[in-house]
Amino acid sequence: MSRQASASGSVNEARGRRSAQDVEDSKTHFRVCRFIIEAGVKLGMRSVPMATACVLYHRFFQSASLQVYEPYLVAMSAIYLAGKVEEQHLRTRDIINVCHRYFHPESEPMELDGKFWELRDSIVQCELLVLRQLNFQVSFEHPHKYVLHYLLSVRSLLNRHAWSRTPIAETALAVLKDSYHGSVCVRHKPQHLALTSLYLALQTYGVQLPRGELEWWQVVCADITKAQIETIMSELLQLYDMEAKCT
Amino acid sequence: MERDLLRQSVSYHGENLMLLLKCEQSENPDFKRVAADLSKTPNQRDKEEGSPVLEQFIARKADLLFAPSWKTSTPADERQEESGEAHAVMPPLEQFMEVCFEERRELFYRDVERGDLVIGRINSVRDFGLFVTLLCTAGGLERNIEDLEIKALCPLRCVPSTGNHDDPLSYYQIGDLLRAGVKGIDRYHEKLTLSLYSSSLPPHLDKVKLGVISKEDLPLHYSRGEKVTADSSQTYEKLLESSLGLSNPLNVDYLLGKLGISDTQTPSLMRGLQSKHFKEDDFATAIRKKQSVSWALKCVKVGVGHFKSRRYVEAMNEYNKALEIDTNNVEALVARGALYATKGSLMKAIEDFELALENCPTHRNAKKYLCQTLVERGGQLEEEEKLVTAEGLYKRAILLDNTFQGAAEALAKLQLRIQKSLELKEQEAAKEQEKTKTVETSAEKLRKILKEEKRMKKKRKRSTSSSTSSDTSSTSSDDDSSTSRKKSKKRKHKRRRSSHGSKKHKRRASSCSDKMADDDIEWFPAPANTSASYIDQKQSISKLISEGEQSWEKSRCEDGRGRLDDAIDRSLENLKHGAQSETSRPGRPNVNGEVRDQHRTQSISECARNRRDSSSSTQSEYSQKSDRYSKEFSSQGRDRSESERDDGRKSSGGSLKKDIPSNLLDIFSQIAEFEKEKKLQK
Repeated sequence: MSRQASASGSVNEARGRRSAQDVEDSKTHFRVCRFIIEAGVKLGMRSVPMATACVLYHRFFQSASLQVYEPYLVAMSAIYLAGKVEEQHLRTRDIINVCHRYFHPESEPMELDGKFWELRDSIVQCELLVLRQLNFQVSFEHPHKYVLHYLLSVRSLLNRHAWSRTPIAETALAVLKDSYHGSVCVRHKPQHLALTSLYLALQTYGVQLPRGELEWWQVVCADITKAQIETIMSELLQLYDMEAKCT
Repeated sequence: MERDLLRQSVSYHGENLMLLLKCEQSENPDFKRVAADLSKTPNQRDKEEGSPVLEQFIARKADLLFAPSWKTSTPADERQEESGEAHAVMPPLEQFMEVCFEERRELFYRDVERGDLVIGRINSVRDFGLFVTLLCTAGGLERNIEDLEIKALCPLRCVPSTGNHDDPLSYYQIGDLLRAGVKGIDRYHEKLTLSLYSSSLPPHLDKVKLGVISKEDLPLHYSRGEKVTADSSQTYEKLLESSLGLSNPLNVDYLLGKLGISDTQTPSLMRGLQSKHFKEDDFATAIRKKQSVSWALKCVKVGVGHFKSRRYVEAMNEYNKALEIDTNNVEALVARGALYATKGSLMKAIEDFELALENCPTHRNAKKYLCQTLVERGGQLEEEEKLVTAEGLYKRAILLDNTFQGAAEALAKLQLRIQKSLELKEQEAAKEQEKTKTVETSAEKLRKILKEEKRMKKKRKRSTSSSTSSDTSSTSSDDDSSTSRKKSKKRKHKRRRSSHGSKKHKRRASSCSDKMADDDIEWFPAPANTSASYIDQKQSISKLISEGEQSWEKSRCEDGRGRLDDAIDRSLENLKHGAQSETSRPGRPNVNGEVRDQHRTQSISECARNRRDSSSSTQSEYSQKSDRYSKEFSSQGRDRSESERDDGRKSSGGSLKKDIPSNLLDIFSQIAEFEKEKKLQK
């Protein structure tokens, strides 16, 4: 991608190319994250290890280039590493089986041959690469615990019958899970993400909370503004639009 | 679609949403049903805050968001919080939000339900009940109500009587903290009735203690709330971050469980991630299983190759490998079973086949091989004369596969054989009975002789002991006259006890010998191929032991520790003498008998010693005893009073005629007679 500084038109062109490339990249990332989440479900991963896997992937590609590294291999290594970090150990054999079947639907399981061992070696090597790329900082704070605590606090404000008939918790958690398709999960604080997903859920169902001096979200996160919430919300909702484009 | 939810949402967002919904969900049949009602709902919200993106999202995902199946969480019963924070317990949000007084009061009366727990302070005690000012909620609701000064009444009938107090209300004082259940609510008049009976609470809370509580029992959210009011710099965030429950790595799992949402099946709003798109076969466990089976089969094939080329060790390795990869793999088990059968370990083969058939009852080879192996095993058992077990095996084989010729033939043959053997057995049994009768007669003869010996001995004993008792009684009368009253009384007591004891002993001795007589009859007939000398030895030894026991029993009634040692000595002596006398007999069995005797003496002495913790050696005891005996014999007249204290020695002390104790004499006589008998037999 060379830059021709002389002609502004070509600069714009380059920028256009770059942004087009970015768009393509973000689509790839979306697909790979979808792959991670699907594999996670099939492997029986809990929500926090799955979140860790996606975050590892996003952080890796913040500094690395898609041209150099095969994203699906990085994804598989991210799953493997996340299982270790979050204490839900997964076997490479299972990861390979699930991924193989993802790419070759309805196929027979892999044979214990040279190809299998090579793939396994690749995953292990890539795991070390991911660790080095991230400076061995693989422990992350996730929004899940915050959103659950906020849910409990908000529940106390509501009438119990209203709470029991409104699926606020499910929606908030669903939105949170889906947020891992994009890099929004690494560009914001976990508290803010938690807050936004809860806000979104409450807005969806038109739930009205009592008002005091402060709004509930002002209490929960002192440093957030309405505008910020709106920004994050729009980013989250964009992901749903992307689904239509990518899959 | 949940009509009420939709209505709520539409009224919140306005017309826009309605339009969008109609546009996006036009194909959705559920929506169509509901749409008619919705168009009538008024718009409740201000327009300026409309969010088109959100509305677009809601419209698109409405079929998921408002589906009845979307709500997966169950309204879990609120268990009381366990000690140890699984998650951070926060004060009510109302407090942080600084919701105004009126609103809080209104909300409280709107939301409080029967069966909720509240904590309050007693502010007056009347004769019709207690008046309580509520402090905080303790279950069911989490609100900040302290400053609302809500007053509730706990009527007299809802106060249980406590212990001995006639008036239950006298137990309660102004200022007490009370935990009570809400019994009745009058929302319009804003009146609450409380109860101190557990029956007012829902079933899952009935373990909660109602009544007076202390400050420590106040709920955590209240005490934390107090801290917050005291220190205004404590924000929600700070409190949350500083609380221990937030750092609990398992708090996510715990809270998800509390809310009733499964962690591995969390919902998603993405179309591609809906659970209906996931096939069971794509899951890791299913693929792994299939893979294991195919890998194991490969190993089995290789193993069978080895087996055919007679490389049994390699074949076994391959089969074991296969079973490690996939335990209970049918093919591997059948192949391994066949290998075991070929090598001859039929039981292991049968086990493997049975396991294989458990997993796959229709496996043809397994059945066939199992039949063959059972028949073979049956053949083996036949040779070992275990005919009934063999029969069982043949029957099983036939059950499994009734076309198997070998099994039926073998079974028929076996049954014939069983019949024959039964007949043979009967004949033999008849013969044996005759034999045993003849054998019995010689053994019985001996026994009869021994019995006679015993009787003779008893008679002698009785006569001697009766003489001694008569002597003692005579001497006692002499002593009375000569010595002081106290001493004589003591002696009398002891004598009486000893004489009483001796009578007991006599009875015991006789009973013992009676038992011996009984035992003689109950003994099994001696087997044909043992020599008679063994029987002699056995009986004599048992006799000696019984005698030892008798003397031991006698001495047990005596006072003083030393007496028991003497008794042990005596029994040892007896047995030793007995052993020594028996050494005179020629032949090998005697040596064995001696060894046996010594073992027995040792065992008896050990038992006795263990009981009394005496550590003196037999030799020293024996010497001591012999000294004592010599003393006795020398000063019989003077020492009779002393000797009379020892009951065991009474017979010896009293008998002036003998030089040695009567027991020994008896034994010697018996031995002499045995020898006579033997000589007769030989």
